[in-house]
Amino acid sequence: MLDVLNLLIYGAVISAISFFAIILLMPAAIRSLTAGGKLVPDAHKRDKPMIPRPAGPVIMAGIGAAEIVLYLLTMNTAVLAVLLSTVIAFAVGYVDDSRMMPGWFKPVALLAAAIPLVSLELYVGGVHEDSLNLVFGRAFIPLLYIPLIFVIMPITGNTINSIDVLNGVASGFIIIAMIPLLASIAIFGSHEVFLAALPLLFAAVAFYKYHKFPSRIFPGDSGTLLFGAMYGALAIAGSSEIIGVIALLPAVMNSFLFLASVRRIVEHRQIKERPTILMNDFKLAASKDKSAPATLVRLILADGPLDEKAVGCQIFKLATLTALLAFATIAIQYAIFRL
Amino acid sequence: MGFGGLAIFVVVMWTMILAVAAFLVIFIAPIDMIMFDGQARRLTVSVVQAAIAIIVVVVLVFGLSRMKRIYMQKKLG
Repeated sequence: MLDVLNLLIYGAVISAISFFAIILLMPAAIRSLTAGGKLVPDAHKRDKPMIPRPAGPVIMAGIGAAEIVLYLLTMNTAVLAVLLSTVIAFAVGYVDDSRMMPGWFKPVALLAAAIPLVSLELYVGGVHEDSLNLVFGRAFIPLLYIPLIFVIMPITGNTINSIDVLNGVASGFIIIAMIPLLASIAIFGSHEVFLAALPLLFAAVAFYKYHKFPSRIFPGDSGTLLFGAMYGALAIAGSSEIIGVIALLPAVMNSFLFLASVRRIVEHRQIKERPTILMNDFKLAASKDKSAPATLVRLILADGPLDEKAVGCQIFKLATLTALLAFATIAIQYAIFRL
Repeated sequence: MGFGGLAIFVVVMWTMILAVAAFLVIFIAPIDMIMFDGQARRLTVSVVQAAIAIIVVVVLVFGLSRMKRIYMQKKLG
């Protein structure tokens, strides 16, 4: 356990490293990617401007530097496990950014991101509990917990990846979801995992400056998968699995709606019937095609066309609601534990 | 109604998740006492608990899928 002074100093140092590394490196990354022709069209804009992608390497550099400093300061195994899981998810995303991989690649390859959490717990210990925090109590399930980690990591990675459909949504969504997760880790987890979570929040805040509408750079699969997998690893190491899922509900709902309607694991780009239609006035409308996949954006647009920025605002309102529900869940759990 | 409908959908999902969590803690965690009178081997109890937990989660997913279908029909016709 760290004392309050160390907690404040370490927290300030690693948050600053993560935030300023991304703020300062991103303009150079935008110039470099643009010069190298690594550009993709921003499909929902007039004239479809070309936007550089991916920002994942810069985000990874900022978070990685902060986590390495934290590990050297604390020598905590959970911090190392979270860092290694994040690096693996980033590598999986970078492969997908560099070459077009089939739909099964990301969920299957993300299983590897669970390995540091499981193996470091087995060989060193101190990464996570063997019991699942179920709000109303803990369930000691050593047999089920390891497979559960292999389920959680691909799910969290892919849910953030699948919600990255509009400018600023993935980064803004992570910022909102991180607030209740940080509170939960502070109450039910450890000081070290709480500190390990700060670089993710500050990286997302720094990246949002460049990713918000109108985006100057896209995160790419490397950025979204590292965001999602790191979030999952923190929820596991911080004994906040259910609260983490609740804060992530709109993204989970988006993945669930998509999978339940297409009934197979497939990339969005491989779907012929689009869930939304871009109108002449550049507003988005819900597709009326019954075979089009169901997505969160399509449901938001079911009441009428909206522009891209307004759809993003609706998603953020929904994320704020689920963050409040996550806080309510923390309050319920805290009250039960106090009884 | 647009945001209101989605907000209700999310709150129902949250309630269902909490209900499943409560069920697992209240009924599945002490199952060695309820079903086996505290006499079963740890491994047997764990396997039974894991099997019931998986079934309950599958039922939750089916429930959510049904809710989604009703919501989609109402919204998109």
